[in-house]
Amino acid sequence: MATTVADLPPDAASPSTGKSERIDGRHLRSERTKRLIIEAYLALVRESSPRVPTAAEIADRAGYSVRSVFERFPDLQALRVAATDLAITEAKANYTPRDLDADRATRLRKQVEIRGRGCDQWLPMWRVLNANSAGSSELQDRIRLTRSLVLKRIEMVFQPELSTLSEADRSRTIFAIEALTDFESWARMREFFGLSFDEACAVWVRAIDRLLPPTPDNAS
Amino acid sequence: MEAVLPSSPSPKTPRIDGRRLRSERTKQLIIEAFLALVREDPKLPTAVQIAERAGYSVRSIFERFPDLNALRVAATDYGLAQAAALAPARNVDGDRKTRIESQVETRAQTCERGIALWRVLLNSQDESDELKLRVRRARETTIARLELMYKPELSTLGEPERRDMLIALEALVDIESWARMRELHGLPYDEARLVWTYTIDRLLPATPAAKM
Repeated sequence: MATTVADLPPDAASPSTGKSERIDGRHLRSERTKRLIIEAYLALVRESSPRVPTAAEIADRAGYSVRSVFERFPDLQALRVAATDLAITEAKANYTPRDLDADRATRLRKQVEIRGRGCDQWLPMWRVLNANSAGSSELQDRIRLTRSLVLKRIEMVFQPELSTLSEADRSRTIFAIEALTDFESWARMREFFGLSFDEACAVWVRAIDRLLPPTPDNAS
Repeated sequence: MEAVLPSSPSPKTPRIDGRRLRSERTKQLIIEAFLALVREDPKLPTAVQIAERAGYSVRSIFERFPDLNALRVAATDYGLAQAAALAPARNVDGDRKTRIESQVETRAQTCERGIALWRVLLNSQDESDELKLRVRRARETTIARLELMYKPELSTLGEPERRDMLIALEALVDIESWARMRELHGLPYDEARLVWTYTIDRLLPATPAAKM
């Protein structure tokens, strides 16, 4: 399906007067099409994960032809990489740590709620990413990047408590919190144990609270 | 007893048994070939690869397994049975430290041996209810072991704290948690074990006085 004027961004709908505007308009349309294809892919992944959507399904959902998909992405792997990058960017923007100076209970509750929401939202994508990462250094890099972002966040949010530990115990505690709050750990609570969002959050809050050492006086 | 045995064996029975034995042996070799390939490359091997590794024809495989899913299920059963046999519960009545170290050691060995098959199982479970059931059973076995090893500490908790503690312990000692420590963080076996020992000790409530 060709892009119609109604699909275009407002600037692109007005007649162009010069070459650079024409090029920009084309570029904008192409970027918009790319974005819509990626969003269609992500929507399908959420519905059918871990099954990977086909090019025909993606094109159909986005409202374009299969040819349009492959004009913008050389293959489905490139589309997966672009979708993963968009997911990482969105997750970073939506889950920026806040209230880092708050008391222990607040930091703990907020961290768990944010992570729980992130797991609910991105679990299907995470599963597709893992299921297709064998043989793709690009996808493996993104898995590593996602994990390192989670680790950094744990270090940041629980910095006061972690600062009281020796280097070895600090690393052990961070690894344990990362394991505990892994996507699949969340999925097991929701799918295997049938816990509600709040119940699952309560499991994590209690466990992290036990894992962390006491908060130093100046940060409690 | 011996007097009532027939003086010469019936010609039919041994031939049938021998054929059955050979067929079982072939099945076993096919399963082992599947598991060996999975350990080398955690992707589903093709029928041709399995046949080649086992030293049989592709036809031989499908004479014994109706399809590759049936072979996966059989290999999973074999892998899980082997894991259970190699990981008996030890030091169940030991003090807290001994029980934690014992459980961690057993679990670590199971994870080292089983990660490849586990990944294939997880990635294929959506194609088969039988595989899904085995994933569930494997998790239930892990939880049952945690309940057994940490019974004194768990007995001090009410519900839902007890359930929540088991969920947290299971997440901590998940096979992928072990794999991340070893593959992503590059921890040596003993250091990865220490991560679990240290953090399980922190997670568990105090041991009742009689079991210290």
